[in-house]
Amino acid sequence: MTSIWTLLEIPSVRLALLALLLGSVALPIVGVFIVGLDIMPVRFAMMHVALLGIAIGLLTGLDPLLCALVLCGLTGGALTPLARSGAGLSGAMGLLMTLAIAAALLVLSISGVNANGAFELLWGSILATRPGDVAALAVLAALVPALYGLRRKDLALLLHDRELAVCSGVAAERLTLILLVVIAVAIASAIRLTGALLVDALTLLPALAARRVGRSLSAMVGWSVAFGLAFNLGGFLLALLLDFPPGPVLVLVGGLCTVLLYSIPERILTK
Amino acid sequence: MPVPLSDSPPSAGLRLSAVSCRHGRLLAVDAVDLDLAPGEHLAITGTNGSGKSTLLRALLGLHREVSGVIEVSGRRARTPADWARRRAEVAWIPQRQAAGRFPLLVRELLASGGHAERAFAAAEDLGVGALLERPLATLSGGQLQRAYLARALGQVAAGAGLVLADEPTAALDFAGQEQVAGVLAGLAVSVVVVTHDRVVAQACGRVAEMAAGRLREVR
Repeated sequence: MTSIWTLLEIPSVRLALLALLLGSVALPIVGVFIVGLDIMPVRFAMMHVALLGIAIGLLTGLDPLLCALVLCGLTGGALTPLARSGAGLSGAMGLLMTLAIAAALLVLSISGVNANGAFELLWGSILATRPGDVAALAVLAALVPALYGLRRKDLALLLHDRELAVCSGVAAERLTLILLVVIAVAIASAIRLTGALLVDALTLLPALAARRVGRSLSAMVGWSVAFGLAFNLGGFLLALLLDFPPGPVLVLVGGLCTVLLYSIPERILTK
Repeated sequence: MPVPLSDSPPSAGLRLSAVSCRHGRLLAVDAVDLDLAPGEHLAITGTNGSGKSTLLRALLGLHREVSGVIEVSGRRARTPADWARRRAEVAWIPQRQAAGRFPLLVRELLASGGHAERAFAAAEDLGVGALLERPLATLSGGQLQRAYLARALGQVAAGAGLVLADEPTAALDFAGQEQVAGVLAGLAVSVVVVTHDRVVAQACGRVAEMAAGRLREVR
């Protein structure tokens, strides 16, 4: 344990730990929204949009990650009308991915930037977390639970059945817009922490684990945050102990725990 | 046995004039006219695919390809605020109740009607009062239908003057069908019920038949 305390004295490790703590509050709840809206491909779509944002940033000289965040947010909002039909959102994700990556490659070609350099920004690394990333996660850690707390009843109805929500007086269009923007921005922020390919560790794995044990939206949100904290902090400390790269260890810890949870018979979980 | 209402909400009249609904190129509802006075009960029968459910969904703005005039309590719905008022005026028992791609407790469903206490009491009377903490996905079809009926009664207590029920007894046994028919018949508000159930249809003052999108009054 001494070695862990020694490692925690390193500023980048402390910053990473703080980022993971903040991310574990907000991002699992975002994962619950993703599961509820049945838009699991959204993370892939947003990664591609983020790449386009980075390309635009490199072309214009603006902060590439800021461009990625803004473009992801705008794209999330633009998808809202498609949520009216059941398969509209998930169907649109494939199209969005293709268009975004094509546009990104075109912009990178025009700007003369090496595409590999842009792609590297997407891999991310927890230990390369910057204060700006922590600030973005702190905003999400305040915003997402507040959104849930303020609109809990409406969210429960919307995620269960859009038509029931509409007939119950929920402003479904506006709430879906807010959810999609929050999801898009959260994914773009999370990419910095674990990289595009490992972003599921922070969002979907805790939500999927929570779905196994939660019998209502409130229970799922509570469990997802608990699982997020356990998976992320446990995985991070294990990676430090074993001197492994943190990103893959986080995912493996979260993934294995989720698989174990699903292997427990339901009759035991619902006792 | 009818569930008594604790108060007498205002009943809403319904007027449809040349209402047509399309599913793409398919004309599902064809120039339907209807006048329903406040407090009247109408049963709509007809074969599957004749446009009954589409017509009910159009009244709530759930079906978008609609032409003609739909008025509830003499008011059309054009703006989001109009639709919000319409949906508060109309209690809805859908044909295919969502059992859940995402968990929702019976308690949460009942509370969404606007008058939780009344809906809980109705749930008790309808035999699903002990299921409040159960997710909808764990209910049987009959229990789910009773829960949605209890929610609709909560909506009526909250001020809805028109109940739209789309095959509310489809998943019920004979005793359940009679009970639900009795509950609907006992409502002081206007009711439009789509049904294949003779018991339910006989309990209504008026009966209309829908065929190939056209509505024809038979009683």
